[in-house]
Amino acid sequence: MRATAAILGMLREVIPDLRWRRAVDGRREIVSGLAGALLVIPQAITFAYLAGVPPEFGLYCAVFVGLLASLLGNSPMVGGPNTSVSILIAATVMPFSGRGSPLYLEFVFVLSLAVGVVQLAIWLLRGAHLFRYFSPAAITGIKTGVGILLISSALEGTLGLAPLSTQFFYEKFDVALTAWDSTVNPYAVVTSAVTIGCGLALRRRWCRSYIMLAVLAGGVMGCGLYFAYGPVTTQLELLGHVTLRAWPFQVPRVTPQHWLFLEQVIPSIFAIAVLGLAQSLVIARDLKARIAPDIDLHKEVFAQGVANMASPFFSTFAGSGSFNRTAVAVEMGARTPLSGIVAAFAVVLLAWVLGPLLTYLPMPAVAGVLALVGMGMIRRREIRPLFQSFGDAAVFSVTTFSVAFLDLSTGILVAVVASVVFFMVRASDVKLTISVEGEQERIAVTGNLYYASVDGLAKHLRTDPTRDSVLDLSRVPYCDPFAVSVMEAIRAERERAGGRLEWAAG
Amino acid sequence: MTRNWWCAMALAAFSFSAMAAGARPTIEELKARPVLDDYESNIVYGYNIVMETQRYAPRYVGSRLNCTNCHLKGGTQPEGFPLNVEGVYPRWRAKNGVRNGLGLRIRDCFLYSLNGVMPPEESPEVQAVAAYIHYLSEGEVIGRPPDRWGVPTLPETGSDPNPARGSVVYKQKCAACHGADGQGTAAAPPVWGPGSYNAGAGMNNVQRVAGFIWANMPLGSERSLTHQEALDVAAFLHIQLRPFDPRTTNLWKLVERIAQAVSSFFGAGKP
Ligand code: HEC
Ligand code: HEC
Repeated sequence: MRATAAILGMLREVIPDLRWRRAVDGRREIVSGLAGALLVIPQAITFAYLAGVPPEFGLYCAVFVGLLASLLGNSPMVGGPNTSVSILIAATVMPFSGRGSPLYLEFVFVLSLAVGVVQLAIWLLRGAHLFRYFSPAAITGIKTGVGILLISSALEGTLGLAPLSTQFFYEKFDVALTAWDSTVNPYAVVTSAVTIGCGLALRRRWCRSYIMLAVLAGGVMGCGLYFAYGPVTTQLELLGHVTLRAWPFQVPRVTPQHWLFLEQVIPSIFAIAVLGLAQSLVIARDLKARIAPDIDLHKEVFAQGVANMASPFFSTFAGSGSFNRTAVAVEMGARTPLSGIVAAFAVVLLAWVLGPLLTYLPMPAVAGVLALVGMGMIRRREIRPLFQSFGDAAVFSVTTFSVAFLDLSTGILVAVVASVVFFMVRASDVKLTISVEGEQERIAVTGNLYYASVDGLAKHLRTDPTRDSVLDLSRVPYCDPFAVSVMEAIRAERERAGGRLEWAAG
Repeated sequence: MTRNWWCAMALAAFSFSAMAAGARPTIEELKARPVLDDYESNIVYGYNIVMETQRYAPRYVGSRLNCTNCHLKGGTQPEGFPLNVEGVYPRWRAKNGVRNGLGLRIRDCFLYSLNGVMPPEESPEVQAVAAYIHYLSEGEVIGRPPDRWGVPTLPETGSDPNPARGSVVYKQKCAACHGADGQGTAAAPPVWGPGSYNAGAGMNNVQRVAGFIWANMPLGSERSLTHQEALDVAAFLHIQLRPFDPRTTNLWKLVERIAQAVSSFFGAGKP
């Protein structure tokens, strides 16, 4: 009986739930979808660049991954290309094949396929529950670390440095400072400075569209330089023709070689799957709490998994929910998946209209966007409250440090471990409130009493075996047999020594 | 006895050359293999780019040409700008006044010959073409130009190239394939106009294009033109309108690009 109920429940998650149609406020959804499309185009190009694939792929990701996640899911969450996922994809495939080469693309496809499969497995095992343990401090830590990574990876593009084979941004700084006259391209610097400056100046006023405006300003600046001084003098790198195919359907090639590759990157597959889901679920959880109470987290996991699994069939790579684009969509009134669906179609239309202009988009402007997105991910408003508690501050700092200085997948592992450790530490925190009434001592215990937390209480009780103590356990939600046996032992000790111990269970 | 010895030598030489040939698989063989490593897959990709630039490297192409239109037969035709040139790079070139690596040389052809956008050195397209050139250059001597490199230099004919005479030659011998208006047909690529190479291209040089035309055109009856006819028709091509040299730093370039973008948007196809 229970098994059939569980299966029925899962079936409900598989079938697209279109009940939201009844409650939809069409105009708002459509407007926010259009705004989302405008927003995603520079990001899609930038994130494709991060992932080491042609810019078209980023747009396909925005269209198809976004569309599938919205259709199968049940939330106004906006899916598509994602910074951290893109970084991880590049870091995973780079050791096996040259960036962007045909083999690289094939590896990206099978990797995305595998990520989708793992995410579906997580859905089958009801993994959405697990992500509750990702503490907000860890999530903020990952976001901040990724922000730092983005800013540092934007450095090459903004300074127009010749490609450096170093990941460390202080080394990049060093090169830029010591050999600036031969490595730094002033035209690139001007272009990206205009982009970033514009973005920072406009961020307050137009918090929704500042990236679009910044790209526009940087693009105009860069094109002006390019055409005024010529490509040979400026050495400005342009985006080139973005050729969208109307129907980019393909079947990814899976040969023994690809299996071998997958086998070697299993840890990364899991890291990408977990990181992608973690972001989507954090967003979904937040939306559920604030505006859309009937979001089903399992359903979102399923939608994400299917979208990623399907991504290689549409010539693109895995993605996840996007913090910044969802925030904008919700702010503009999106409440249902309709806005995501509108956005997907609007991206196609916009990319087609903007295509010829995008050709002349200077890459330093794209690098400027990268830096802006990175700066947007480091939020003082989110970080400051974390420093009120030692645990949060520690989780946050450790996570940020390892994401920025070790690497992203290590950082995620550290984030999980740190979250769990501090959760345990916090859970084993037991407070004793002691009041003395005459001869008798009353101890009010607050917190869980179990093998890891009973020590403090036991130590206190053992100081004087002749005391007469009463334990008030009414604020102990959970008391495990081990703790009970410890207390029974102490009671026996006290009886032998002439003391007394009693407790009233809550 | 001596005859036998020579036979053995010849056999050895033959088997050696067969072995050498076996060491370099053909593109077809590579394509048929189920598993390619990174280098091999790049060779195939590079070959595809050279043969069908429009399809495999659309990002950086602005004209309707493919590399193989000038680097004939995928860069394997001697005296048709062969691409087995790894051994001569890096070399200094007057064109840009710096020492050019192979990468820069490839990128230059995108910018000028294909009137496109210069791809970055580390872009997959450039890397792939470099791998293909590397593959073609197997067996060449490092530091020495390949046999029948580039195109032949035509000898002095004693008479200046004359575009007026060239126009007659063009109508008779070339227009059938390249179109009376030079815009190309299904059979041949454009030789001037917005879809062709730009004014900064290596092709836009009378001596060089004359050598190319004399040695390779009209396709199918190569070397049927006299040297003088080749020079005349080259001069005729030289005076035709074609996209601006991207090195000229004037606003016209921008206007031209915007016009291109607009016309391509309204379905005129890639200019
Ligand atoms: C319009 C004709 C044309 C097209 C199309 C063209 N090239 Fe070239 N290419 C030339 C000419 C002419 C030269 C020789 C220029 C010189 O010697 O300065 C050349 C030289 C080269 C060289 C150096 C070869 C040597 O002999 O030193 C390379 C490498 C090259 N091209 C690569 C390419 C690639 C790759 C493409 C396609 C993306 C391409 N070319 C497309 C005309 C063309
Ligand atoms: C039989 C058809 C044919 C005829 C006739 C012919 N061509 Fe070509 N031409 C071609 C083809 C095909 C190519 C491209 C080569 C390839 O892709 O292998 C080409 C390429 C060229 C190119 C270099 C590519 C470009 O578009 O700039 C030039 C220059 C050229 N031809 C000039 C001439 C001239 C001048 C004549 C007359 C003397 C001529 N051709 C006659 C078919 C022809």
